[in-house]
Amino acid sequence: MKNVILYLNQFFGGVGGEDKADQEPYIVEGAIGPGLAFNAALKDAQITHTVVCGDNFMGSNTDEAVRRIMEMLKDKPMDFFIAGPAFQAGRYTVACGNICKAVMEQLGVPAVTSMNEETPGVNMFKKDMIIFKGGNSAAKMRKDVGTICKYVNKVLAGEPTGGADAEGYFPRGIRHELFLEDKRENTAAYRGVQMLIKKMNKLPYQTELVIPKKDVVPIAPAVKDLSKAVIAMLNTGGIVPVDNPDRIQSASATRWGRYDISKMDRLAKGEFKTIHAGFDPAAANEDPNVIMPIDAMRAYEKEGKIGRLHPWFYTTVGTGTTEAEASRMAKEIIPFLQEDHVDAVIMIST
Amino acid sequence: MKLSIGNFYVKDVVFGEADSFKDGILTINKQAAIDYLMGEDEHITSLDIVIARPGDDTRIVPVIETIEPRCRMDGRTLFPGVTGDLAPCGDGELKAFKGCCVTVVGGTWGSFGDGVIDMGGEGAKHTYWSKLINICMVGETDEEDERHEQQKTNHALRWGGHRFAEYLGKIAKDLEPEETEEYVFDPVLKRSPERAGLPNVAIVLQPQSQMETLGYNDLIYGWDMNRYIPSFVSPTEVLDGMMISGSFMPASSKWSTYEFQNFPTIKELFAEDGKSLNFVGVIMSNLNVALDQKERSAIMVRNIALNLGVDYCIVTEEGYGNPDADYVRCQVILEDAGIPVVGISNECTGRDGKSQPLVTLDEKLVALVSSGNVSELSELPACKTVIGCLEAMNRDGMSGSWGYDEILGKSARDDGSIIMEDNNWFCGDHISGFSVKTMVEM
Repeated sequence: MKNVILYLNQFFGGVGGEDKADQEPYIVEGAIGPGLAFNAALKDAQITHTVVCGDNFMGSNTDEAVRRIMEMLKDKPMDFFIAGPAFQAGRYTVACGNICKAVMEQLGVPAVTSMNEETPGVNMFKKDMIIFKGGNSAAKMRKDVGTICKYVNKVLAGEPTGGADAEGYFPRGIRHELFLEDKRENTAAYRGVQMLIKKMNKLPYQTELVIPKKDVVPIAPAVKDLSKAVIAMLNTGGIVPVDNPDRIQSASATRWGRYDISKMDRLAKGEFKTIHAGFDPAAANEDPNVIMPIDAMRAYEKEGKIGRLHPWFYTTVGTGTTEAEASRMAKEIIPFLQEDHVDAVIMIST
Repeated sequence: MKLSIGNFYVKDVVFGEADSFKDGILTINKQAAIDYLMGEDEHITSLDIVIARPGDDTRIVPVIETIEPRCRMDGRTLFPGVTGDLAPCGDGELKAFKGCCVTVVGGTWGSFGDGVIDMGGEGAKHTYWSKLINICMVGETDEEDERHEQQKTNHALRWGGHRFAEYLGKIAKDLEPEETEEYVFDPVLKRSPERAGLPNVAIVLQPQSQMETLGYNDLIYGWDMNRYIPSFVSPTEVLDGMMISGSFMPASSKWSTYEFQNFPTIKELFAEDGKSLNFVGVIMSNLNVALDQKERSAIMVRNIALNLGVDYCIVTEEGYGNPDADYVRCQVILEDAGIPVVGISNECTGRDGKSQPLVTLDEKLVALVSSGNVSELSELPACKTVIGCLEAMNRDGMSGSWGYDEILGKSARDDGSIIMEDNNWFCGDHISGFSVKTMVEM
C-alpha cells in the first residue's frame, strides 16, 4: 500500500469559510473531506495524512507556511503528494502550486494538483508541475478527483502515462516521444498522407507539432518631422543609478525603473552603472552612455535634429526576461510616454 | 513508368552448399559470397556473414547501411552509377526478397553516421530492422586514411553491401514470385481525364547532402547530392535504386538505401493515387549547408511545383538540426506560393524535453508529423550476442554515444549494457515513414 498525503485549504479541510482563511497550517492523520473521494479512487494507495492551511495565511506568509509544512512532512513516509482540487478559487490555486513546488524541490516526492484554467495558479505553475484541468466548482469534485487518481495510480504502479492531452493536464512545454501501436495506420507515412488529405478537403486535423504563435509587433511608420519630435530613451541593458533604487533584477527581470535626466547632458560614470548579468559590465560602467546614449541625444537636441528629449529614461534587464513580463512592463511605461506626448522611442537592447 | 516488383517472402536465412530459395528458406553459400565480395574490392581485408533474426538476444553495432536484396530482370545493375553502368531507373521488372535485409556492419570501426540495432528485448522497438532477418555483412577494410576519423565514407563496405544485395537478389531471378507489386506512374501531361478533378500532389524529398567533401552524401544515379540542384523525378525511380544512402548524419535521422527502395510515404501516396489525389511525382531536393544553397533549392522546388501545377505537397527531410532550416524554408516558400504542405520529420527537444523542437520555426507550418525525438535516452541491458564491436560506441564518435560522461559514464559499459541517445538507433526515427512514434506534451 502506497502513501499519499493531501493538501486542502480551510474550506475543504472543514475549518470554515472566508472568516477562517487565516488558519495556520496543521496536519492530521488519515483522510478528511475530499480525501474520502481520493481513497475511493486510489488503487493500492491511501491518504495517510492531510495538511490543512488557510488561504490567507498561505498567501500572506508563503515562506513561513511552506517552511512549517515541510517540517510536518519531512519524516512522513510519502510516495505521492496531491494538492486540491482547487477548482476556480484563485488564492487556493496559488497555494496548491506553491506547496507542490516545495514538495518536489525540497522532499523529492512527485506532486500534482488540479485547478480551473481561468485561475492565476495555472499560468504561474503549469511549467513547474502537472496541473490537471479542473472544473469551475466543487460540483466537479468526483470528476476531478477521478482524473487525478487515474494518473497517480499509473505512476504508482510504474505504468507509462499518456502525456498532457491523454491524461488531462495543462501542457508544460515538455515534449517527449511516444510509441504508438505497431500498425500501418500509425506509421508516419500513413499519418502524413492522411493529414494531407484532410488538409486538402478542409477537414479538421491535428498537427503533431504546434508552432507557438509569435507576438510580432509591426514596424512603426517613420516620424514625419524629427526636428519637432519628442524622443524617449528606453533600454534593456540594466543602466540604473548606482544604488539601483528600484531593485531591478540582474536577470529574469520583473521590475523596471525610470530616471530623471532633465538636468543632465550625459550619464556620469559613478552615478550610473549596469546591473545586467548577461555581459561583461566593464565598458558600460566606465561610460553608461555606451548603452544609454544620453550624450549623443543631447547633441542632436542642440543641433535641432530632434525636437526635444523626454526628461526620463527607462530601464529594465532583458536577459531571461519572459515575453509576458516584458509586455506587462511596456504597458506600465507607455502612459508616462503618452503624458509627455512622446512621438518616438529608441529601445536599446544589449 | 511501370515498375513491377516480384516479392519472395523469406522465413529464414541459412548457410548451405548452394545458393537457393525454397519454401521460404533462403540458403547462402557463405564462402562463395565472401569470395565474390572480397574479389570485387581489394580494400575489404576480411569479411564474415552472420544472420540475426527477429527476437534474437543480439545487438548489432556499428551498423553502416541496410539494403533490400533485389535483382533487375533485364540485367541492368541494381544501383546504376554505383554498382554498375548508368542506366535509367523507374520502369521494368524487379525481384525482391522481403522480410530480410543486408545489414552492413563495421567489424571494429564505427563512424558518426553509424548506428545500433537490437534484435530482441526492449531495444527491438527502436528500429524497423528488428522485424527483418538481418543478413549481416561484417567487414574490415584497409581504408587507413580515415581509420581514426569521426567521419568515414565507409566506401568499401557500403559498396560491398550494395553488391551483396544484388548478389543475393539474383538467387530469385528464375523463380516465380509469390506476389507482385506494381507501381504505375503515367506521364504527368498525358493522364486520363477522370483524374482531372483530383488535386495534384507531389512529395519533396530532402536527402542528406551536408558534407562539402565528396564521398559522404547520398547519391542520385551515383552523383553526389551536394553538387546537385532540385529536379523532378518519378517515384518509381526512387523505389528502383536511383538513390543510395550516405554515411553522414546522426544515425536515427538517416534514410538507409532499404528505405529509399521501400519509401513508405511514397507507397502511401500511391495507395491514394487516382482515388483521393493525383500523385504527380517527386521533387528531389537536398540539404546543403550554405544559406544561398538552401534558398536556391527552395526556390527551385517552389518553381517546379508551380510549373507542374502541384496543388499540395508533402515535404520530408533526411536529418535534423541544420537541415531543419531547409525543411522549414521549403514548406514556407510552398505555402507562400499557395501550395499547402504537410511536413514529416523528427524533433530535437533535449533530454528534458524542453528545447525548441526544430532549429527554426514558422507559424505557417500548421500540419506537421513528428516521427521521434533524437534526444531521448535509451538504457538497455547487455545482449547475449554482439555482431560488430560495442567499443566503437565509446571510441569512434558515433552520434548519440560517448566515451565519457561524468554522470552517465560511457555508452558501452564493460558488462555489455548500453546507454545512449535515440540519435544512435540506426534510422531509428524512420522519417521515411516507417516510424510508429510521435511526439506529445508529457
